[in-house]
Amino acid sequence: MAATTQAKAPKGGHKYQAVRAYLADLIVSELAVGDAVPSERVLTEKFGVSRMTVRQALDALVADGVLQREQGRGTFVAPQHTDFEMRLTTFGEEARRRGMVPGTQVLESGTTPAGRLVAEALGCGEDELMHYVERLRFADGTPMGVERAWVPVHLAPDLLDDGVPDSLYDALKVRGHAPTWGEDTILAAEATAKELALLAMNGGRAVLRAHRRTFSDDGACMYSQMCYRGDRYSVVVPLREARPTIVPRVQPDADDTADGADG
Amino acid sequence: MTAADAARAAAILAGLGGVENIEEIDPCTTRLRSLVKDPTLVDVAALRAAGAYGVMTTGRVVQVVVGPQVDTIASDLADLM
Repeated sequence: MAATTQAKAPKGGHKYQAVRAYLADLIVSELAVGDAVPSERVLTEKFGVSRMTVRQALDALVADGVLQREQGRGTFVAPQHTDFEMRLTTFGEEARRRGMVPGTQVLESGTTPAGRLVAEALGCGEDELMHYVERLRFADGTPMGVERAWVPVHLAPDLLDDGVPDSLYDALKVRGHAPTWGEDTILAAEATAKELALLAMNGGRAVLRAHRRTFSDDGACMYSQMCYRGDRYSVVVPLREARPTIVPRVQPDADDTADGADG
Repeated sequence: MTAADAARAAAILAGLGGVENIEEIDPCTTRLRSLVKDPTLVDVAALRAAGAYGVMTTGRVVQVVVGPQVDTIASDLADLM
């Protein structure tokens, strides 16, 4: 181990930042996913800092998701996060656009009454019949998420006649209900025991849940719940400037005189 | 704006309790986030009938889910207010 030369801390920076910068550079330039980073002892000697300082640097990189600790084994370069954009696309499309091969394992499919939650999301009766599909989604062979989807039977009675279609959106489109917009509600959560096992997560339990209402021009056509693994998945949200706020031109009770319309 | 668009905007405004009840309306990507003076004057059924896909009320903030037509509706609302 070539730990003889002492690295210098950047001017004005904390000592741990030098260790952190060194490791970040090492990860990008020399190490591959799954490689171990130098041990705490080696780093302590190389930088002439305390073990606590080294741990602080490692902790920061673990918190960033760049490194992952494995109990009793050491600290390793974590697999990259896959940044999906929340768009009205299917999992398969998003994976393909990132140069990954999507895969699917159908866990369950059938017909079920909507129930309260789904009925509320789709604005229908609780007894309305739904196609229900539960799938494990893969990217390049790695399980990335568990998807559950509900589609009103009356919109597409034959939806599941030939098995679960690869793309529910395409299947809806073919039947005249092309998805045109939707809303995702995103929640941080912990995986259930079942999800943990399905997603083969062996580090943390953090997952990202995305609950989606999908609409076609004639109304709500699908409700779905995706559970993405937190250690491999990140979300990109495109932002744009907010539209101007609309304020009534004449404030009937004009007690604050001038600044009614600042938009 | 078409007559149908204007009628829809007028129905939404009425559902929110009329222009007198509006403090401001903030158009988002799929929703109109409205700050109203008196939330009891908001008529959810009327908003639904006007084409809203959902109405969420928190205190004086009423979110009306209208979908991507939000741009058209917002400019029609601005004309009516």
